[in-house]
Amino acid sequence: MGSYVARRVLQGIFTLFLVFFLLHVLTTLAIQVNGNPALAFFGEKVPTQSQLLEVKKRYNLDDPCFEQLGNPCLRPFVERLNAYLHGDFGTNLRGDQAVTEMVATAAPNTLRLFTVVTITWLIVGMLLGSLAARFRGRLPDHSIRSLSILIDAFPVFVMLLVYKYIVAVPVERWMDDRFGDEAFPTLMFKPSFDPDHPWATVVVPGFLLGVTGSAAFIRLVRASQLENYHADYVRTARAKGLGDARVTVFHIIRNSSIPVVTAIGFVFADALAGAVITEGLMNIYGMGGLLWRAVRESEVSVVAGMVSLLAVVVLVVNVLVDLAYAALDPRIRYD
Amino acid sequence: MTDPTTAANIAAESHGGPVARSLWAEAFRTLSRRPSVIIAAVVVAFFVVVAAFPTLFTRTDPQRCDIRQSKIRPQWFDGPHPFGTDLHGCDLLAQLVHGARPSLLLAAIVVGSSVLIGLVLGSLAGYYLGVIDAVVSRAVEVFLVIPLLLAALLVLSIFRNVDFGDGQLAVLAPPAIVLTMFAWMGYTRYVRASVLETKNLDYVVAARVLGASDLRIIFRHILPNAIAPVTALIPTAVAGIIAAEATLAFLGIGVRPPAISWGIMISNSTDWFTGGYPHLLLFPLACLIATILALVVLGDALRDALDPKLR
Repeated sequence: MGSYVARRVLQGIFTLFLVFFLLHVLTTLAIQVNGNPALAFFGEKVPTQSQLLEVKKRYNLDDPCFEQLGNPCLRPFVERLNAYLHGDFGTNLRGDQAVTEMVATAAPNTLRLFTVVTITWLIVGMLLGSLAARFRGRLPDHSIRSLSILIDAFPVFVMLLVYKYIVAVPVERWMDDRFGDEAFPTLMFKPSFDPDHPWATVVVPGFLLGVTGSAAFIRLVRASQLENYHADYVRTARAKGLGDARVTVFHIIRNSSIPVVTAIGFVFADALAGAVITEGLMNIYGMGGLLWRAVRESEVSVVAGMVSLLAVVVLVVNVLVDLAYAALDPRIRYD
Repeated sequence: MTDPTTAANIAAESHGGPVARSLWAEAFRTLSRRPSVIIAAVVVAFFVVVAAFPTLFTRTDPQRCDIRQSKIRPQWFDGPHPFGTDLHGCDLLAQLVHGARPSLLLAAIVVGSSVLIGLVLGSLAGYYLGVIDAVVSRAVEVFLVIPLLLAALLVLSIFRNVDFGDGQLAVLAPPAIVLTMFAWMGYTRYVRASVLETKNLDYVVAARVLGASDLRIIFRHILPNAIAPVTALIPTAVAGIIAAEATLAFLGIGVRPPAISWGIMISNSTDWFTGGYPHLLLFPLACLIATILALVVLGDALRDALDPKLR
């Protein structure tokens, strides 16, 4: 097990290295095609040669390779990796705030959002998936299946748009009339984030984001539980005379939860992208919201730093999921 | 044994009757019996026709806008603007009709080229293993770490100022390239897995013993069997790309004005929904949802029909 963990972690680090290289090549290519972003610093003004050089130095853009199309710029890449190692993911264009600093102030709200998202995944996915498996081929199964198709048909973006512009305003008004404007239900349906009530205003967006991911969970839970319904040990348990509820909870659901863990890995990456849309549309001050704003304002250095940082997060989650899978399922071989 | 019906059956079978009808014909038969599938197929076909021949549905030029006629409510059959006009006085129906093409064309290009890349890389990796497989698998892993939408946000915003020209295809090029770059991995994985599964089956070994070349084995014997699971992914993938396009357009970095797309229309009209002009948002949103829903229904049914394990 120890060597498996070490190997998986090393493999993850190597992948991360390649991801950083890919991102570096893309941004370098953009600089070579677009012209040096140091010029953007001056806006309308025409800088002198020495001013330009100073700004280029400040943003580490002074290497001549940035002028040569097709040059992979290995030296700046090494410098950038070194900066990443020291926790430096760049600054915004004005240079007064580090990306890591911005992320640190924004992360709590994203964590709140993901808490709600995870709870939604577990409750909606496990509950509906188990129900569908239990009533296979009957009405509950068919309706849950239609529901998951419907969920797939509403991408996060559309779901939030419909919620924010069509549902939230009248519902909030109605709640306001009934409960007053400081009550929890009223805050819950506020169409945009309120930093004074970070939990209340994050519940509905988080739930919607969670619902969009839960279709995958529903299908997976259903499939893996169906497999277990006919397993030998379930028949044994029934033959021993165990009650239906006990067999379902302790034999079927427990054993079919293992493959569901792996789903977290790939649904998580989608949810992270979804978080960008959710936080952007609902004005939540979180990591995704930062990225959304940076894209709108063309803060390229912030976008690049954030995407690198989020890639680290995705990779860490993937490695953790793999390790959890190995730890949970003794049949997984470690070689 | 010499019963004529049995003999007829055997004859039919040896002439490839039920064998040729195998997976695809069987899938088609199950699909055509489901009303939801037929409705979905009709909806998809309708929007494809709209995208291909927009002039069948409207004669108005979507780019000719008269600001004096801005924000007319839907007139249905009583006026020149059946669905009303938008903020700048452009005819909404014309915009909707002409907005279908970029979304659908982009999705077709992206999914088509991703599938092609997936087929080539997946079959090479699965067939030859070794170094090629190591490189391809590593590349898949690397590209999977960056979620599609994040990658699109990054790349499209760093290349925002690059001018590709104004033609129909040039407008689509940046999002098409970026989305393809980060959408090929799934197909590669699927193809690789099914090539691995298929390549040691008896009939493939037999073909190799007979002296068939690698290319012939891959294209004639392995890929036809590996292609079913990939086909089942396509409608859902097209739906995903249409949704992604709408999202990117909403952010102003996908298909960009003056080109028209549903995403741009949605983005322009959100503020007017509560301002008393809900139709500006509802029409493009309804088109988007109808297309995506139809594709997802098709994809779900296809997955069922083509995956024998689920039967």
